Amino acid sequence: MIIPSFTHKMAAHCESGTITSLLNHAGLEISEPLVFGISSGIFFGYFHKMKSFTFPTFIVRNKPGQMRKNIEKRLGIRFSTYEFEDAAKGMAMLDHLLGQNIPTACQVDFFYMDYVPSWERVHINVHFMIVAGKEGNKYLISDVYFPQMVQLEAASLEKGRFAGGSMSPHGFLFHPNTIPPSIDYESAIKKGIKKACFNMLQIPIPFLGIKGMRLFAKRIVEWPKFARDTEHLSHEIMKINILLEDQGTGGAGFRFMYATFLQQAAEIIHQPQLKELSKQLMIIGDGWREISLFSARIGKNRDLGPDKLRKLSELIHDRADVEENFFRNLSKAIN
Amino acid sequence: MSTPSKELLLEIKQMIMDTLGINDLAIEDIDDEKPLFGGDNALTLDSVDAIEIVMAIQRNYGVRITDQHIAREVVRSVNSIAQFITENRPG
Repeated sequence: MIIPSFTHKMAAHCESGTITSLLNHAGLEISEPLVFGISSGIFFGYFHKMKSFTFPTFIVRNKPGQMRKNIEKRLGIRFSTYEFEDAAKGMAMLDHLLGQNIPTACQVDFFYMDYVPSWERVHINVHFMIVAGKEGNKYLISDVYFPQMVQLEAASLEKGRFAGGSMSPHGFLFHPNTIPPSIDYESAIKKGIKKACFNMLQIPIPFLGIKGMRLFAKRIVEWPKFARDTEHLSHEIMKINILLEDQGTGGAGFRFMYATFLQQAAEIIHQPQLKELSKQLMIIGDGWREISLFSARIGKNRDLGPDKLRKLSELIHDRADVEENFFRNLSKAIN
Repeated sequence: MSTPSKELLLEIKQMIMDTLGINDLAIEDIDDEKPLFGGDNALTLDSVDAIEIVMAIQRNYGVRITDQHIAREVVRSVNSIAQFITENRPG
């Protein structure tokens, strides 16, 4: 059984893509970049020493789950959400929702998604996908990273939904419940942009936003201290490329997706200045892509001397400078 | 679907060789259709080479590939790169 009229679509990122797909199914025509921008998805954070991380790392988007919450608040949509301690109850609720023809988003540990080639599967407890039907003991999955719908054994889905560890999903499910008859997109877009500017420029935490970017630039030269050996350091440096380009970011750490949002927002709220800022952000994104390539290259060649890390630091400092200027201009444009 | 010209296919092969500093192969050794990654083409590239090629396409043809899922499809073979450039380059 596949839910009638559900259309599978690919998307750049699992959370924004899943939300977009469910809203489209519910009758709301909205693009993934608009969902990303309205929910203030763009962000930066650097974590040099945290108990939950074994090595310094960074993020380029807001925290998992926040996009849905922000979309709910800004568009006036209501989502039904469910969390479970008991796996059997969690699976029964999913079957119940499918029985009512409701395509439902699941939070899962990506590692148990057997439709993904084994060499690409890693433990990430915050992957989102949609269950859109069931045939026998297999669920029909709409995962935005795949060109077609895929099948997943019930046992694997259950393992993914009830995996343990940090940010454990607890069987989390959601689907849109009510969509208001009219939506004030202008207000939603402006609120989304204002919050993104606040997060990047003013959030009073030294490792978040532009401040976090500068901290990243300053501290990356210390990364060899944390590494077991050159192999470990090269792996961590190459991860910069993965985090920026290869984890559903839409390229350049979500900068390209946010630029597309600004381009679409310019049309909706009739503000041509946003189109110009969109072009600027595309160029800023190209700079992040240079960082991505530089990291991948020095990691691959095990060419990780202090001069190379200083160069990487300079490139990141440069992104902090241009992004600070960009978000100040964006903030002015929207006020 | 427009067909890429032979000149473009040659240009792309030259671009790949220049970008990746390959000098132990002749252009005619590179097959147009065989996969550039993990296949039996004369060239076998890795994910870092893929980013290099994506950026070279942007520099040389003014076409930005933003999304990594699209990038994977585009850099699959010389033909797929040529097809993408033919369909997307400005002007």
